[in-house]
Amino acid sequence: MTTSPAVVTGATVEVREASKWFGQKVAVSDVTCSFGPGLSGLLGPNGAGKTTLLRMICGLLSPSDGSVSVLGSDPRRDHRVYRRVALVPEEDAVYGFLTARGFVSYAADLSGVSRSGVERAIQTVDLAAAADRPIAGFSKGMRQRAKVAAALVTDPDVLILDEPLNGTDPVQRAHLIDTFRRLGAAGKTLIVSSHVLAEVERMADRVIAIVDGRLAAAGSVLAIRQAMADIPYRIRIDSDDPRTIAANLVATECVTSVAVAGNTLHVETSDLPDLGRRVPQVAKDLGVRLTAFEPEDESLESVFRYLVRRRT
Amino acid sequence: MRAFASMVRVTMRQVVGGRRWIVLGLLALLPAVVMWFASIDPSPPGAFERYNDVPLPTLLLLVVPIVTLVIGSGALGDERRDGTLSFLLLRPIRRSTIAAAKLTAAWLAASLIAGSAGFLASFVLAVRADTWITLAPTLVAVLLATAGYTAVFMVLGHVTSRAVLIGLVYVFVWESGISFAAPSLANVSLSRIGLTAYVGMLPETASALGEPLGALAPGAGGALAKALGIALVCILVGAFLLKRMDATSE
Repeated sequence: MTTSPAVVTGATVEVREASKWFGQKVAVSDVTCSFGPGLSGLLGPNGAGKTTLLRMICGLLSPSDGSVSVLGSDPRRDHRVYRRVALVPEEDAVYGFLTARGFVSYAADLSGVSRSGVERAIQTVDLAAAADRPIAGFSKGMRQRAKVAAALVTDPDVLILDEPLNGTDPVQRAHLIDTFRRLGAAGKTLIVSSHVLAEVERMADRVIAIVDGRLAAAGSVLAIRQAMADIPYRIRIDSDDPRTIAANLVATECVTSVAVAGNTLHVETSDLPDLGRRVPQVAKDLGVRLTAFEPEDESLESVFRYLVRRRT
Repeated sequence: MRAFASMVRVTMRQVVGGRRWIVLGLLALLPAVVMWFASIDPSPPGAFERYNDVPLPTLLLLVVPIVTLVIGSGALGDERRDGTLSFLLLRPIRRSTIAAAKLTAAWLAASLIAGSAGFLASFVLAVRADTWITLAPTLVAVLLATAGYTAVFMVLGHVTSRAVLIGLVYVFVWESGISFAAPSLANVSLSRIGLTAYVGMLPETASALGEPLGALAPGAGGALAKALGIALVCILVGAFLLKRMDATSE
């Protein structure tokens, strides 16, 4: 029996064959996946269905088909589950006339938790200096942090973040990523959606990729890449004589294409381990000095590009 | 209870925020201004009769509906428009509590504005005719009519982004027009809730205001029951919609 990499054991959030359509438009189609403690990335281009899937998980949208359960409950039927679940939505869902402190306090009041956690939440997102200013005057990044603070004040077990780093500057981004990673390491379930691939790559231990409303891939970046055996690996080889190496490699079975650019050789292979054994041997035999042997496409960016290309 | 109180407090700020407060505040001056001009002429009828002729209908048929339309439709409509509805819905609180808190806040805010309008009109009457006889009936009429209107407009604001337009058609076509066509139609008029309370508390106005009441029996008790009934139904409908409708921002 094989287990789908989209499904984890000990899941806190389960999506089963969920679909959502708005009239004729299918936003999410037959997605089955689950999330457990730790930080999971939900990846996809704009319009892929990430927000719709997250909204279904939260209970803000009812699945047209299939089901969703969070901490064992259907959030559409049992509002008590929201004691342990929080969402940081993508849109500017803030009350501009409230101060950041007022906004976070309001979240605490509505969730029935003590206001004693308000200061800590504000400190966590590094917003203390602006806490008493109306949110209307905040930059996009500051609003994002206010929303994160409002979610953190309830100390949720499941935290769903829809493009939480939008509009944040690099320092804020690094700080928030660090915060999310810490929460994930502490056993909270964090689902972070993003179309900025580098962000997800920095944050998530596990990635669920959605393309055109469908589950495109799941697992670690490397695992996803390896699962796509039909797509050749791209390897960069730097050496003092790339043309000689190219001439020797081009005849081998595992190499599908070779291109030389300066001192760099770009090789596409269907068998990475074989190439990994062959290149040092060829270099040694020919007396060529290798300075780099690196996969070019194990970044999430390239995985994602493959996924999109495969769908279209 | 803390969640309810917090929601009421924030919603009150939300629904009268920005320019709304100024526009509705100016509108609230209208009955007093009308009363002032209506009572300049010293010839009969007296100021009290003139109050019942023009300022009171201005208050109950124009000011109260418009104030409640703007504020009531914004109670949930603003949350949906601004994308903050999810902030409320993802809380461990009953949907009926959300609807009740929203209605309470909108009713308080609308009553403050419409009640001020009623107070100012009665104040002008008191200055002109040295009587405060209309103050209490006017305020009761405003509070009850506001409750009915706000409740209906809150639900309307939740289901459509064109609530103000639809509400204006309702106010001017139904409330100020068609509902006067036959006595039985007064039963389904929200403005008559206030009017029945007013006439019930001031029986001497029955002859002057009897026609708009149609088949309705004057009385503050009946008006109170009707206003509470409408509010309760609208809270239940609002809660049902909050539970069933997809929460997407516009």
